[in-house]
Amino acid sequence: MADSTKIETPARTVETVTFTINGRTATVAKGTTVLQAAHGLGITIPSFCWHPKLKPVGACRMCYVEIEKMPKLQVSCATEVTNGMVVFTESDKVKQGRRAIIEFTLLNHPLDCPTCDKGGECDLQNLTFAHGYDDSRFAFQKLRKIEAGVPSTFDDIKIGPEIVLNRNRCILCYKCVRANKEAFGEYDLGAFERGNHTEINAAPGQQVDNPFSGNLVEICPVGALTNTDWRYKIRVWLTDQKASICPFTSSGTNIQFYVERHKNRIFRTTGRRNDAIDDGWLSDVTRYGYQIIQSPDRLKTPLIKKNGKQVPATWDEALAVAAARLTEIRDKKGCVCVGGLASPSLDNASLYTFNKFMRVAMESNNVDYRTEYRRLPSSLDNPYDIAASQAFTIADIDESDVIVVIGSDLVREHPNEYLRVRKAEQFNRSKVFLLNPLSTKPSDVAALELVHKPGAEEIAISAICLAAMESGWASGVNADDLKSKTGFKKAADAAGACGLDLIEIQAVARAIAEGKKITIIAGELVTRSREREAIGAALCNLNRVFGVDGKGQMAILARHANSVGAARLGLTPDLGAGFAGALKSIWGQYPETPPQNTDAMLAAARKEELDAMILVGVNPVMIYPDREFAREALDKLDFLIACDLFETETTQLADVVLPLAGWAEYRGEYFNLEGRLQSAEPGIAPLNEARPAHQILESLAEQCGSPLFAGMDQRNAEMEKILKVDIRRPWPTGLIEVKPQPQETAPERTVALIMGDDPHHSGYLTEKAPSLVGFCGEAYAELSPELAAKLKVGAGDSVRLEAATGKIIVPVRVSEHIDNDVVFVPRNFMAAPVNSLVSRKQRVDWVKISKVSD
Amino acid sequence: MILTAESIKQIKESAARYPHRKSAILPAITIAYRQVGHLNDDIYREISKIINIPQSEIAEAATFYTLFPKQPVGKYLIQVCHNISCALMGADSLVEYLEHKLAIKKGETTKDNLFTLISVECLGSCATAPMMQINQDFHENLTPAKVDKILADLKAKG
Repeated sequence: MADSTKIETPARTVETVTFTINGRTATVAKGTTVLQAAHGLGITIPSFCWHPKLKPVGACRMCYVEIEKMPKLQVSCATEVTNGMVVFTESDKVKQGRRAIIEFTLLNHPLDCPTCDKGGECDLQNLTFAHGYDDSRFAFQKLRKIEAGVPSTFDDIKIGPEIVLNRNRCILCYKCVRANKEAFGEYDLGAFERGNHTEINAAPGQQVDNPFSGNLVEICPVGALTNTDWRYKIRVWLTDQKASICPFTSSGTNIQFYVERHKNRIFRTTGRRNDAIDDGWLSDVTRYGYQIIQSPDRLKTPLIKKNGKQVPATWDEALAVAAARLTEIRDKKGCVCVGGLASPSLDNASLYTFNKFMRVAMESNNVDYRTEYRRLPSSLDNPYDIAASQAFTIADIDESDVIVVIGSDLVREHPNEYLRVRKAEQFNRSKVFLLNPLSTKPSDVAALELVHKPGAEEIAISAICLAAMESGWASGVNADDLKSKTGFKKAADAAGACGLDLIEIQAVARAIAEGKKITIIAGELVTRSREREAIGAALCNLNRVFGVDGKGQMAILARHANSVGAARLGLTPDLGAGFAGALKSIWGQYPETPPQNTDAMLAAARKEELDAMILVGVNPVMIYPDREFAREALDKLDFLIACDLFETETTQLADVVLPLAGWAEYRGEYFNLEGRLQSAEPGIAPLNEARPAHQILESLAEQCGSPLFAGMDQRNAEMEKILKVDIRRPWPTGLIEVKPQPQETAPERTVALIMGDDPHHSGYLTEKAPSLVGFCGEAYAELSPELAAKLKVGAGDSVRLEAATGKIIVPVRVSEHIDNDVVFVPRNFMAAPVNSLVSRKQRVDWVKISKVSD
Repeated sequence: MILTAESIKQIKESAARYPHRKSAILPAITIAYRQVGHLNDDIYREISKIINIPQSEIAEAATFYTLFPKQPVGKYLIQVCHNISCALMGADSLVEYLEHKLAIKKGETTKDNLFTLISVECLGSCATAPMMQINQDFHENLTPAKVDKILADLKAKG
């Protein structure tokens, strides 16, 4: 696929040069290559090995141009434009050069286009038609690379769960190896041997299974790398492309579906490069996640519970039952008895309809979208939400000279931003600092990685503030004030309390103080913490001490595809007077009832003070940080409606189950973490009887006797008005008291449990994508070699993880990148529900760990 | 562990000499080759841990250089140049003669594990063609009589 012709000029260059190309005179920034300049002027130069996001290598020689006063043809991808340069891209000499290069490139290429999966979108095929000719002087036997002892068709070998390699087709542009190393920092693929015998292959004894491996296939200019997801299923020219966005990441990666309309089926996902967001790279979760939509396990019809058993029903029946029961409960006992949770991955229309459904049709303020966090604040007016509402621009990471990641396992939570951080280090020599309770990627490019005690985030941040103050970098902050607000007299005390060296803390403080452009990213480890408000307060102080807002950006990043939309559309229970007033003026009414958040709703349900709940795309039993608590609560409800794509532990408890359409099945709009509004086209029509959430909720409201909108126009107009409400809160001007919570000491023989997403999964649905299961199909406990040795376990053994609330048994993965006092378990697998080990009251989830003997 | 403490020490010492870590790859594989006599994936893995560079990068560098054997070879590795100058001067018959003398085919090792015979690309000694390299030494302007003497000397040395 031809790369975009966007012109990329190196940042911070103001000097320009003027040159002539094909008789046209043009001025470009100094440092621009001839190829980039030509593309910017609309002149196409063919190439195989050039990629806009990688350093040029000049491996393929296809981009030859003629430059006056230079005796030979030059590779335009690696030649910078100079003043007075005269370039020709279509002269006879150039045409002859291209033709010769094509002839050489085809030297060992098998010409098996009819059986090659790349046919129709192959750069080599296209450029041969454009620049080659129909004969070759190389009439001898082509070199064939055959894997001894591996029976395969067309000499294909599988080098990763999703990647098939055909070395004979490879033209050695090295794009895959370069992207893997330069952009992703992965070394599971290499170029081995020399000359004619050079081959791309997996590293000895390894599989190409890094979290970005799908990109390698996408950028391959020939059919050397193909993926098992797509190959031999359809020819590319039989598909239509539909522009969508990724529902698994909060940056809203731009993707496109390849769809066969008559079959109503998506065949694959590729990138739709957007330099402001994703640079064209997709994580594998983004790439293969579409498969969940076409899973045979999807709910096919609504279900109604009859005599304790869920039986299939028609939509009319299900909606009638749901509406009748909801109205009954609402009218009989008053509105506080209905609660609702919606997924922050839903589109704006669905979230807004949900909000209005709950507050207008159900007359209840029990609305929330944050199901996976414990001890939530009800309103947005707290230091955590101040830090979370700050403006953040993904592309600004590139130019930041100092990047600090606090409480975020970047590659698992924010793959796009992870790649941006790597890019900044690679191309901008940015200094990267990681401050986490466990070692995380990109530790290989970090200037310094600080691993603090679990549950000491705010103390570590305070230590940085105090260190800055002691070194005289915190101008305008009163030293005594800072000491009393942080609760520590000296940086050394705070550093000691969180288990870090003062020298390391000082190094971070110095970097932030001296940095010209700062990016500070905080993530899920902060949001998931019970003490998120204390950490938020510490971040506010960090901003105050260093004046981060004056020279960069700092934010706690949203985690879900539309977390920002959910907050802006008012899905938090307590909206405050201003926001509530705005809604009241639009709706003409606003419920007076006490607002309850997820915790409060589940607690009330448990005490039988809440009678009914409606869940849209959420699975509290799987994701709420206290599994049994959530299950008991939902079980005690008189009436539960669950809308989801699949049968889950939660839908099993429901009285009415409604099949939900996924994001790929209807048009939706989403706010990414920057607050950028993006829209996603439907790839296919909803499968089976699934319906979009907004449609379900509208029908339900109508049946309840309180229709929500006269039409789509009314809904959109209302949303427009609501989105004018500014929920951003400014950084506080003074210091805030950080109440460091007395650290719970680790009980005997326990380790701290950290749960999160596996790099190949996101949430609880990706288990339904076969490709992603191919990368990682079951939960595991990631342990340090030392801890593994202490427990006498190795790869292949299983361990039992036990807490007061439950236990799970999972296989062991030994990793050198994790510390001795923590264990990481992915939360993506239904068979090993890690949320059964956590309790809503704990700050650090201590678990007992022991070997399972056969 | 395949590498001895002495090799590991040498690798670490040489790695300390370079401003870029990657520069340490070639000295490291050379040290390993001198100790073991050939290279393989296990050796790459060990080097990778010592100088903290991904295994694939070590393997890439090592496989690029054909002068590092990747399989066990005899005590004396005979590399006959088969490029243009040597070919014109009779490299082919030189290989045939060696095959006959050693009673092995090109690419094989003698039963006593003393000799391995291979032919290689240009060794940069065209003026003295035909020629061969045995371990670190060049043997030039070869004739059957010369080859007989060289082999006899090496056999005597054992």
